[in-house]
Amino acid sequence: MSQVYFEDVEPGYELAPLIKEPTREQLDAFTKAWGTTTGRFVSDEAAQTEGFTGVILPGNMSMAFLAQLMTEWAGSEGKLKRLEVDFRRSILPGDRLSCEGLVTDTEVEDGENRVILDVYIETQKGERALQGTALVILPNKP
Amino acid sequence: MAEVDPTDAIEFDRSVVGVDYDVGSHEVTEEQVVGFAMAIGETNPFYLDKEEASKGPHGVLIAPPAYYTSIRLQPGPDPQVKFGTTSFNASQHCEFYEHMRVGDTISAKEQISHVFAKTGRTGTLVFTVRRTTYSNQHGRTVMMVESSNVRRDMTQ
Repeated sequence: MSQVYFEDVEPGYELAPLIKEPTREQLDAFTKAWGTTTGRFVSDEAAQTEGFTGVILPGNMSMAFLAQLMTEWAGSEGKLKRLEVDFRRSILPGDRLSCEGLVTDTEVEDGENRVILDVYIETQKGERALQGTALVILPNKP
Repeated sequence: MAEVDPTDAIEFDRSVVGVDYDVGSHEVTEEQVVGFAMAIGETNPFYLDKEEASKGPHGVLIAPPAYYTSIRLQPGPDPQVKFGTTSFNASQHCEFYEHMRVGDTISAKEQISHVFAKTGRTGTLVFTVRRTTYSNQHGRTVMMVESSNVRRDMTQ
């Protein structure tokens, strides 16, 4: 894994998108790890009574994709400090998700190289299902 | 004229707001960390490969940031909001201070930090904000999560 450095980024810098196509099997593995056995994330029937076509992904799972985008980008010397997201639309297994990040600001404060990003997940329909911000600390170039 | 706060009209247990409750502890195990990382589709060897992780900066497997979602805790405080027919996650705000590591014992405290109503074009929404703070066996806070849940009345 190559390391990105603080000096490499400036506002407008776009991260390479992380593409996710969560399957029903992955959703089941996630809810199992989570310990959820009923409701709209597990049962098609339960989801349908709430007006969905079938099971939907928990917000926690899609948020984890954005966390992965951040930690993969920050590399082993960088650090994800904050992640804040709004859940705007439901995501279904089989959706094609593009997890994206855009640097909006950089600053050095308290000895930390802070990078502030807009982060979001766009579906194949072009809708932003999750939208938020992140704070990542990056190392200086050696 | 002072505006009326729509929250005043909402029935809920106001006594739990702002009070910390212990909601139990959790052993971070290799099995659960790897299981979680695989379910997400993580590729970082520090989450997945014990051998590689032992050679890395942490010395042991660490948990991905969102691992907290797989930690089973006791039920937290319930403000018993009497409103709406359905509820959804509206937003989540995480602050990460330290990694959770395999072998850690994580204990959690939870509080209802805020319950409030908003009335807009689509009717009234009632938000419940829950803050969970996770600490390790050394007494250091490793992360904080604030989740906002919204209740609405779909029959409106």
